[in-house]
Amino acid sequence: MDYTKQIQEIASKLFAEEKIDIFIGYRQNAFDDNQVPILVTVPADVPNLIFTDKSVLNLTNYLKFEHTRNKRVGIVVKGCDSRALNMLLTESQVKRENLYVIGINCTGVLNEKGEKAQNCLECVMPDAVVYDEMIGTPSGKKEYSVNVDVKELAAKGLVERGEYFQEIFENCIRCNACRHSCPLCYCTKCCIDQESAVLYNGSNTPSSAFHALMTWSLHLAGRCVDCRNCEKACPSHLPLHLLHKQNEMVIYENFQQHLAGMEKDDRGAFYKYSMKDPDDFIM
Amino acid sequence: MNFSVFETDKNGLQKFYEETIAKNETYAPVEKFGKYDYKKVSALPECDPDSPISLTMSVKPLFFPRSSKIMKYEENREGTIITETDEDPLAGKRVILGVKHCDARGLQVLDRVYKWDYIDADYQKRRENSVIISTRCNKADVNCFCTSLDYDVENSDAHDIRIINGLNEKIYIQAVTEKGEDLLKGVPGLQFSVCSSEVAGEESAKHFKAFDSSFRLKMNYKEVNEKLQNSFDSPEFDPASKNCISCNTCAFICPTCHCFKITDEKIKDTGIRYKSYDSCNNGYFTLMAGGHNPRPVKYRRWRQRAMHKFVYYKERFGVNLCVGCGHCAISCPVNISIFDVVNQVV
Amino acid sequence: MEQLLVPALCKIDKIIEETPDVLTYRLIFKDPEMFGKFKWLPGQFVEFSLLGRGECTFCISSSVTRPGYFDCSIKKAGVVTADIHTMLDEGMDVGIRGPYGNWFPVDDIKGKNLLFVGGGIGLAPLRSLIQYCIDNRNDYKDFTILYGARTSKDLCYKEEIEEWKNNPTLKVILTIDKPEETWKENVGVVPKILEEVVKPAIENTKVITCGPPIMIKYTLLSLDKLGFAPKDVITTLEMKMQCGLGKCGRCNIGSTYVCKDGPVFTYEQLKALPDEF
Repeated sequence: MDYTKQIQEIASKLFAEEKIDIFIGYRQNAFDDNQVPILVTVPADVPNLIFTDKSVLNLTNYLKFEHTRNKRVGIVVKGCDSRALNMLLTESQVKRENLYVIGINCTGVLNEKGEKAQNCLECVMPDAVVYDEMIGTPSGKKEYSVNVDVKELAAKGLVERGEYFQEIFENCIRCNACRHSCPLCYCTKCCIDQESAVLYNGSNTPSSAFHALMTWSLHLAGRCVDCRNCEKACPSHLPLHLLHKQNEMVIYENFQQHLAGMEKDDRGAFYKYSMKDPDDFIM
Repeated sequence: MNFSVFETDKNGLQKFYEETIAKNETYAPVEKFGKYDYKKVSALPECDPDSPISLTMSVKPLFFPRSSKIMKYEENREGTIITETDEDPLAGKRVILGVKHCDARGLQVLDRVYKWDYIDADYQKRRENSVIISTRCNKADVNCFCTSLDYDVENSDAHDIRIINGLNEKIYIQAVTEKGEDLLKGVPGLQFSVCSSEVAGEESAKHFKAFDSSFRLKMNYKEVNEKLQNSFDSPEFDPASKNCISCNTCAFICPTCHCFKITDEKIKDTGIRYKSYDSCNNGYFTLMAGGHNPRPVKYRRWRQRAMHKFVYYKERFGVNLCVGCGHCAISCPVNISIFDVVNQVV
Repeated sequence: MEQLLVPALCKIDKIIEETPDVLTYRLIFKDPEMFGKFKWLPGQFVEFSLLGRGECTFCISSSVTRPGYFDCSIKKAGVVTADIHTMLDEGMDVGIRGPYGNWFPVDDIKGKNLLFVGGGIGLAPLRSLIQYCIDNRNDYKDFTILYGARTSKDLCYKEEIEEWKNNPTLKVILTIDKPEETWKENVGVVPKILEEVVKPAIENTKVITCGPPIMIKYTLLSLDKLGFAPKDVITTLEMKMQCGLGKCGRCNIGSTYVCKDGPVFTYEQLKALPDEF
């Protein structure tokens, strides 16, 4: 997967036609084979744009920052990113008319080891679902499968599972990078940061990490698109996807096989009521 | 004063570590989820003193914990009572293994701010009761630039004992302070040959030369510092910080960032007050009641961060706040390095 | 450090309603020994804890020359101050750490004419100094107090101002921004009244000013225009603080720690600071 040329062409065309003020894409890191985001504002920077199977980050995260707010933005999205973009559109965080979306029909990105990333192996929608222009051949929707780590963990006993999660909470340093790198965490002041949030008010204890991570993951339940920006951001390398994939599984099984951001104006599992919804958990 | 130097090899060093761990309360890098953090260990196999710097958290939390209890309080009918806090779990005598040179230097830098005016007694006690055994990296990570800054990495005195890797598989264990000397003497059963400090120094210089040549990043510190002093109004801070997602990670894992916040956790009538890390990259950091914020936008916060690291702290306390460990760049979700930022500005 | 961060408990002796959104809390230490230890000078501040919600920085608005208690005047501005107003009652406990910071140069201004320029809640730190100077009246020469607020309701310390007015050794000038029916004194913003009504003599005079940022900005310009040297103009700076001990780094402006080197600065010193406050 190497769409560098196409993306550069589209970007220069957009700048030439003055359709955008800023273009969000990837650029090669100077010293290793990782890629970092680049916010291009002048056509001269367009040759720095790149897209290969190391373009792992979800760029829609940048749509919430001051540099892109209320500007005309060109953006590159892969399948999972486009689902996040769908969520942002549905939740009225960005205006569709301000965006020029280059949708990639993704064949999966690589992790640090050079293998295909886990979320790509389990990807349900490799094609961009929102786009103005499409690159690559669509491969269609894939079958949903429960995450291997979630399955593995579910097979363990309750005590063992508890210990595993306890370790996650003990190693969390409460830097909130997970939250800041999540495209769908766009609140100007997170509930975790409120002065009155006495259970997790900034302190770094396992219990506050538990409350903060749980609150965060539950706010993303039914919204998370499994782009794993949070996991890539975590300085402690915590397996944060476990929280989200667990939620996703529960929602998929209980709420009419719902997956976040697959269709436009899909408001998510918790906003729709159906007679078929399970109610056995209501006391 | 001349301190002991021993010559040994890999096995001898292993043995020295084992003895140290057996005799003392020891902290060392322990791997979890692929990342090393300093934790209490009871046997050598649990830890890895030679953990790669790119995967190792800083040693700072052992001296300035990520969260520490200030007090507990209870409310009853008569009013409020402040109850005694628990004993400081980090105050005891201890040895810390596998500290990187930059990390140890970070503590030396932190000493300055904790010693001026009000003295932080807890920090002081943790410092006094710790013996730091450092190892110099064999090779620089892509984000490291410790040799470019205002301290002597080769002859660093930030640690108590240093392990010098010789070129021909030889390893030298050298005490640098009295605390280190006491520890070295207190480890019995070690049949190392005594060696002169000159030989160790020469070996160290050789190793340093090889180490120094492995750096990707080099900076002319003096020039950067001087130019940055007049760069407060530089327009380059904005483009340099454009990618930042204001996530705090760089400050939380930095060995010298020392900003903190004080928060309460109160359930019903009992509460605990904590002191925990905070970061100047956080938009609320300077937000005042009433809504005034002196640093409301990203580039101003980045300017504060860069200037504090490279100018302000030096102005105030005489040393550079950045130690060049590269932790921030390694952990940054979008790979912003403070090295790149200051170089873009000057 | 953790020891230094533990507050001492104070009982709220009295809550005085100054304006609809400013309350003055009169505080008494629960531990009588603290009275001996707690000595402050005008301009210093304390860390005020509403237990369960955290700490806020407030200046002490009464003078050490009136012992036995101290006052904190708190304006409802943010979430925590709003909670302080609603949650605290007379007789309840709060935590106090301090006093921190530097103070108005009470010795340097001896033998000088003093001009106090205050606006709104900005009178609070000035009040501490005014009380201090009144109690040491012989050390200082002429006193002029110019105090303004948006409306007559927003004037703080009304009773005390009456006392000052009745004191023949003080000159008190009040002003509000817009005319009101029952208002008999000046109308206009503080800098305007300063230039047109007060017309202070420059000779041997020190100006001490405090108020909202916008007032400070124009007052400093007016004082410049009137010919005051920047070193004769003293003000206090508002900055977010947390520890008060010069450790937490929140109040940094350049290499200056506002909580240690300030909050009292001369205009001359302020000019030298990076523009970040």
